[in-house]
Amino acid sequence: MRNSQIFSLTLVAIFAALTAIGAFIKIPLPIVPFTMQIIIVFLAGSILGSKRGLQSQLVYIFVGLAGLPVFTQGGGLTYVLQPTFGYLVGFAVGAFIIGYIIERGGEEPSRLRFVVANLVGTFVIYAIGAPYVYFALNFLLDMPTSASTVFMTAFLSTVGVDIVLAIVTGLFARRIYFLLNKKMFNVLEVPK
Amino acid sequence: MMEKMIFGRFIPGDSFVHQLDPRSKLIFTFIFVVIVFLANNVATYGLLLIFTLFVILISRIRLYFLINGLKPVIILVIFTFLIHILFTREGDVLLNLGFLEVYEGGLRQGIFISIRFVVLVFVTTILTLTTSPISITDGLEVLLNPLKKFKLPIHELALMMSIALRFIPTLMDETDKIMKAQMARGSDLGAGPIKDRIKAVVPLLVPLFVSAFKRAEDLATAMEVRGYRGGEGRTRYRQLKWDAKDTTCIFALVLMTALLVFFRS
Repeated sequence: MRNSQIFSLTLVAIFAALTAIGAFIKIPLPIVPFTMQIIIVFLAGSILGSKRGLQSQLVYIFVGLAGLPVFTQGGGLTYVLQPTFGYLVGFAVGAFIIGYIIERGGEEPSRLRFVVANLVGTFVIYAIGAPYVYFALNFLLDMPTSASTVFMTAFLSTVGVDIVLAIVTGLFARRIYFLLNKKMFNVLEVPK
Repeated sequence: MMEKMIFGRFIPGDSFVHQLDPRSKLIFTFIFVVIVFLANNVATYGLLLIFTLFVILISRIRLYFLINGLKPVIILVIFTFLIHILFTREGDVLLNLGFLEVYEGGLRQGIFISIRFVVLVFVTTILTLTTSPISITDGLEVLLNPLKKFKLPIHELALMMSIALRFIPTLMDETDKIMKAQMARGSDLGAGPIKDRIKAVVPLLVPLFVSAFKRAEDLATAMEVRGYRGGEGRTRYRQLKWDAKDTTCIFALVLMTALLVFFRS
């Protein structure tokens, strides 16, 4: 195994840990407080790439399901019943798609590509998360809730902040991306 | 922030449940979570309750810890219970307050759903109370091993889980320190217009990422120096052992499933 491979492995693990920490840093905003978690998801996708980004989020989900209280409201297998579990699945898929879009960008992905990738990622997270809220409420918890109520609370209430964050994080991620790529490149260059 | 992450969730002990192999406990919990949904009448829900109480008894976990595990979902339980009582209109009217009618069917459904919740939370909490996260990871790695055929990097995932488990408290400490340091410099996440609050996240993120990357790099170097070369041919320090107790546990689960299928309406 090459050093770069081990480095990317440890980096994925550390990103999983960062995602857990992101769940606990709450920034109070009127109406809905936002957590730093989605920022870490954007960064995981854009910096680690599709496969590694997906892995980091899966590791995070598994650690939580294995019983550590790393999710916003605890942990354990029963978390699957929480209506918000779908967003966690969305994080995994979202990170993959963000990574995939940026990887198509060639050597030097443009700023626009980072922002668009994050916006598409946000969309994917909600496209998985919001229907899961509906599904969990109606079928897992036997709580009949109309689709429009779910739409209001699970989508409209938070999507605005997340779109702003997607754009800001996109610009931020691009800078780290180049710094880190340079570093990985240095690691790869084995002295002859 | 720190008190939220109580890592003393695993309680060491030497009860029957503690001595079980993590694999059998994992299989047990996964299947139990599915069969809970088989219950649909008084007899089956009663069976589930008795079975769960029995598991609690032999795990010799103090009830206090289990109730603690219930805390995050208690609001959800009460909420679903109330929704059922107020909005399910089946059977006879039990209580009529004019503006509020409680039906027999609603009360029954409410109680059933609450039992389902409590049973699920108790059994999964027992798993994490009696099994250390590291053994859970080990057990998962072995159980998921067959998936390697589909080119899934199971060993890597398990290793990453262990690393993440190890580093969550460390990075948590670090974040706490950085937040305090930035607060001392006058940064405030809770005040000012939204734009300023989002801006205030950056001085938090940058040092956190710098230190996280540094740790990842150091760890990678340490692993390489010790000759880590992937899962192939790697031996274990902690060996898993499957014995008669584990077979008994799985047998009890099969029996429970059969009873549930037999008694459900």
